Amino acid sequence: MPFTRINSKMVEAPIAPGQRMFSQRGAMLAYRGEVTFTPNIPGGQGGVMSMIGRRLADEATPLMTVEGSGSVMFGHGGHHIHTVDLTGETLYVEADRLLAFDGSLRQGTMFMGSQGGVMGVIRGQATGQGLFTTTLQGKGSVAMMAHGGVVELPIGPQRPVHVDPQAYVAHRGEVRNRLTTALGWREMVGRGSGEGFQLELSGQGTVYVQASEEKL
Amino acid sequence: MSTYPPPPGHAPGHGQGPARGPVVFDPYSLPDDDNVNPYAFSVALDGQWFLQKGKMIAYYGQVDFHAIGHGPLDRLVAANFHSPLHAADWVVAQGRGKMLLADRAYDVNSYDLDQGNLTIRSGNLLAFQPGLALKQSIIPGFLTLIGTGKFVAASNGAVHFVEPPIRVDPQALVGWADCPSPCHHYDHGYLRGVLGGIRALTGIGGASGEEHQFEFVGAGQVLLQSTEQLLGVRDTGGVPGRAGAGVPGAGAAGPHA
Repeated sequence: MPFTRINSKMVEAPIAPGQRMFSQRGAMLAYRGEVTFTPNIPGGQGGVMSMIGRRLADEATPLMTVEGSGSVMFGHGGHHIHTVDLTGETLYVEADRLLAFDGSLRQGTMFMGSQGGVMGVIRGQATGQGLFTTTLQGKGSVAMMAHGGVVELPIGPQRPVHVDPQAYVAHRGEVRNRLTTALGWREMVGRGSGEGFQLELSGQGTVYVQASEEKL
Repeated sequence: MSTYPPPPGHAPGHGQGPARGPVVFDPYSLPDDDNVNPYAFSVALDGQWFLQKGKMIAYYGQVDFHAIGHGPLDRLVAANFHSPLHAADWVVAQGRGKMLLADRAYDVNSYDLDQGNLTIRSGNLLAFQPGLALKQSIIPGFLTLIGTGKFVAASNGAVHFVEPPIRVDPQALVGWADCPSPCHHYDHGYLRGVLGGIRALTGIGGASGEEHQFEFVGAGQVLLQSTEQLLGVRDTGGVPGRAGAGVPGAGAAGPHA
């Protein structure tokens, strides 16, 4: 079910019987029809094992299952909302940025170290992602939150994109990311430019960047 | 200028296109009773407006601000105010000029009422024209505007108009117009059954945070803001202590109180 954008901070999604959605708890603003909101213990999809995985990975943002027939409006915390339609590829996003997503998407967690080993772990710390990040794969729509508006930057094979780690929101596609540092003696004496760490994304896909360096 | 109800496909006050150069306003180029940007509203003052204290950020022209109380405006106040106990929160702007209103960088919009009534959360209302009368709603924390005229309200995120029947998160509700007052709706469906019992007793699984909504039915319009973060609550004033039994919010409740 695609999300309909009502304004920059609110989306509406239709709910039909037999389909379900997951949404962050407390993010419902209003609904029509008969819709139920059930907090789900596993905190998402998969069985108990994936729940334990998410708990360990600290990616267990409280979610609720939205079922029924009608339509639901979502919004949360005054954050801007960006919707992404996935057609088979994978979206990498922090769990607390997820506002709502289709139940048809497969949810998983990824260890940052699996992309670049130790540097991946350091990258996770620098971007505030921690050691793990959430992946969503399949066909469906995702609504994610950002502080300020979201800019989509395409990544091409010959066009890597450099992003401030704090402004990074999510990325999709076959993308390798690498933390580049430009630390010199200036940083050591506290006269740095403040842009010592950058995230370099290369490959084929899209990166989502928010117009702010503030975390959610 | 946004009309009430808004024409379809028109987001009030957000019609500005993408990035323009900076605009310098003077008394003549400031809009008449319209938004300057999503966060500031310009009133073409010629006569009187009521405003909440502290919401005026700038003005051109000759404008006097009178506290509502015992003064030259007693007749006007008597005609437009019907809840004397919170009159201290309001001032009357009188004169000619352009006056800018804003509230903590929240989205600000104006709405027109034509022989209508609209109930709004007290913290969201910024200003209104004297053609409207301000009354306390019998629902605590809300104010009702009745009559014809324009008023200015703030919201956290743009306001979205929906038609009943609808159920609304209490914190996302800004107000409603022309429809009967809402009732509470509780949704504890997931707390039923064996698993639900375990959940209710142990707290495992937590709450969805969506067990309680306001339900609207009938004809009218419901105003929603885009988040569940409330604007600061503003006291609407109590009802007179001698109001007696049967008045919500009054001290004397039923016989078993």
